[in-house]
Amino acid sequence: MKNLLPKFALVAFFAITSNAAINAQDVIGYITKSATNAGWMMINQGAEDAAAEEGVKLVSVGPAFQGDLSSQLEVFENLVAQGAKAIGIAPVDSAGVAPAVTDAMSSGIPIIAIDTGVSGAEVTSFVATDNYAVAKVQGAVAATLVNDGDTVIYVTGNQAQSTGQERRNGFMEAFSAARPGSKILEVPTEWNSQQAQEGVEAVLNSNSDVKMVVNAWDGGTMGAKAALENLGYGAGDVKLVGFDGASDAIAAMDEGWVHADTAQMLYQMGYQGIKAAAAAARGETVSSRIDTGFFLVTPSTSGVYKQMVGIN
Amino acid sequence: MPEKFTDTIIRALVRFFKAEWSGAFVAILILALAIEFSTSGRPFFHPTNLMTILNNSAAIGIVAGGMTLVIITSGIDLSVGSVMGMTAALTGYVCSFWGFPPWMAILTGLSLGLLVGAFQGTLVAYFGMPAFIATLAGLSIWRGTGHLSTGAQATPKLPINFDLFGRFNPFANLRNEYKEGNLEGYWETFGSFIDSNWLNFFRTFQMSMLIFILFFLTLSIIITNTRYGRYIYAIGSNAVGARQSGINTSLYTMMTYMLCSLSAAFGALLFLGRAPYAKSDYGQMWELDAIAAVVIGGTSLFGGRGSLWGTFMGVILLKLINNGLTLAQLDTFWQMVVTGVIILLAVGIDLVRQSKNPKNVRRLLVSVSSFMAFLTLMTPASLFLKAQISILEHNSSKSIQEAGEKLANGQTARLLGPKEIDYFQQIISSNTWISVLCLSLFIISLIPLYTPNKLLTVIIATFFIFIILPLIKIGYSVTSPFLIFGAIILIISLFIDIIFERARKLDNSV
Repeated sequence: MKNLLPKFALVAFFAITSNAAINAQDVIGYITKSATNAGWMMINQGAEDAAAEEGVKLVSVGPAFQGDLSSQLEVFENLVAQGAKAIGIAPVDSAGVAPAVTDAMSSGIPIIAIDTGVSGAEVTSFVATDNYAVAKVQGAVAATLVNDGDTVIYVTGNQAQSTGQERRNGFMEAFSAARPGSKILEVPTEWNSQQAQEGVEAVLNSNSDVKMVVNAWDGGTMGAKAALENLGYGAGDVKLVGFDGASDAIAAMDEGWVHADTAQMLYQMGYQGIKAAAAAARGETVSSRIDTGFFLVTPSTSGVYKQMVGIN
Repeated sequence: MPEKFTDTIIRALVRFFKAEWSGAFVAILILALAIEFSTSGRPFFHPTNLMTILNNSAAIGIVAGGMTLVIITSGIDLSVGSVMGMTAALTGYVCSFWGFPPWMAILTGLSLGLLVGAFQGTLVAYFGMPAFIATLAGLSIWRGTGHLSTGAQATPKLPINFDLFGRFNPFANLRNEYKEGNLEGYWETFGSFIDSNWLNFFRTFQMSMLIFILFFLTLSIIITNTRYGRYIYAIGSNAVGARQSGINTSLYTMMTYMLCSLSAAFGALLFLGRAPYAKSDYGQMWELDAIAAVVIGGTSLFGGRGSLWGTFMGVILLKLINNGLTLAQLDTFWQMVVTGVIILLAVGIDLVRQSKNPKNVRRLLVSVSSFMAFLTLMTPASLFLKAQISILEHNSSKSIQEAGEKLANGQTARLLGPKEIDYFQQIISSNTWISVLCLSLFIISLIPLYTPNKLLTVIIATFFIFIILPLIKIGYSVTSPFLIFGAIILIISLFIDIIFERARKLDNSV
């Protein structure tokens, strides 16, 4: 695995040097968490559009695989060394990137954290959904779908990341407050839909009274749906609740599988993140916390949501 | 002359531990028992649970099966995860976007696997490139190719035919027919039997599991009964010797890499049969899981020794860890620690098994009983330590504050209110003497590691039992099973020498 890292560093290096030679556009670095996840592709699209609008050169780099901190740090340092005017970063590890971020900030490069915050270091701006607040909405809405005393499954995200922790805590608090008699069985994952599928299958098998599966992200929702299909359940037999508003989960909602989904404004996250980075690079002040909001998608609002984000 | 009962048992034990898969099997048993004790509700040893584990082991299991062959030749294939991801994505892609009929898409995927294997096999066998490097390059190349060719997008929906490799249930149709009342005579009786046992048994009886078992049966028959099988063991244990005795080692090495990549492609089909869609990021890190399964199953990384059934057990052990710990609702971070410990246990048993030395077996048993003492110790000690640490952290944050420095966020959170301090001090005082008692048990339990004194061992086993009383009195009755198990293991360890002696005699008399 380690042998992949220099390659990514090199890509970043050439991308910057070659483009800087051609024109004098400001270079904005953008370090994404994934180039292959459906949700992240929407964020990345927003980032590209914002860069085009602002007339800056966007150098985007993704990690070798999801969750690879060392390659992300290496790319980050290369971007700093090559004179990026500002950097937007979606940290794979909130605390792990903190020292590098502190270094860059102190040498005058504005850092915009996108989607996931940096813990232990100041950033110029943090552009993201307020995961905790949205997860509380998810928990409250999920509570209305079941009776008190019903057993539910919660598929967690990575509990070593603030995003995963906040979503779990928000859900647990709001749901337990509304349905104190319900048992919540957890299926731990590291944002991997295969883990979600296998875990949900195992838990459903030994607890046939489960009424609902709530997921920390929509990859989990799709994994949970596959688990239900594998066990011969039909749409609606066990309710699904998602988080993210990814297009495949919305399609599953139209088929009757998913009953609620708290959608992040994914495109907005990338778009506003790079807008803020460009503004900071020009020396303008930007708000230190930009909340990109959310949208509660239910079968009755899914039409509006699809129109808004352009799913056909 | 009828054989004595004890001799029969000893014979069975010897035969069992001669098998390469016994280490993994014992680990599976221990883990399953532990999960059984710690989960409430439906028993863990329930057919549907076991079948679910088999179903979810199928895809990675078939990949690991191919990997076993490569490792037996003393090679390695790091590209299997990427090959699996690429073929899964492309099979789905040509099916959804190019309008290939399912059978043609499946053939495309499988032949892609063969081609990749032929390419890597040629590099290794004919160009002498180290397998580690050639397949490490493959790991990157095939993952990239998969992403590039499908744009890293998921396919909309796979045709129902793919279910035949995964979630298809051979009894589902019969059950539906029965429900609609279309059956007559014997079929109707059979249908009602299926319907009434649906949730308890038939629901999880799926193709994944059947194909998984069939694949291992076929492959192990090939390995044990064909020239190919004998040759790969020969190549693995002594490549030069194999070549000198006239085996075309290059050809058979290449064939092995082709089989391995083909298995990865076939594993992709099984994965598609249970997954929501096809995507090029499937199978990340599968190479590590596959290698782990092979090694846990007793196959030597240096080649020449190993068995497919060991790999079968290894895969099941890995999946059992995932599913079982989730069922037990163990904290995520603890799951990571426990996973590592169980892998150590499986490989430890395998090492001791190979050494064929009674001393090592006895030491292993003693370590297990010490581990039981350690678990008992941690029950009160974890509370004690946590309270002690909280107070220490409070004091240190306080002294920083008093020195006039600004506290960071994390440090402020360490400050305690007076009520909390009281609470923690109460925990400390109520757990002190029992922790000391358990600690002394743990330390004493280590003694038999160094001396095989029998009287001492019996005394320690008695101590294991007697400590249960004060523990129950203070409310830690959960530790009783650990202690009873530890005592039993200690007593068994006394008989190891006798068993070995008898086993040797039996072996000689045959």
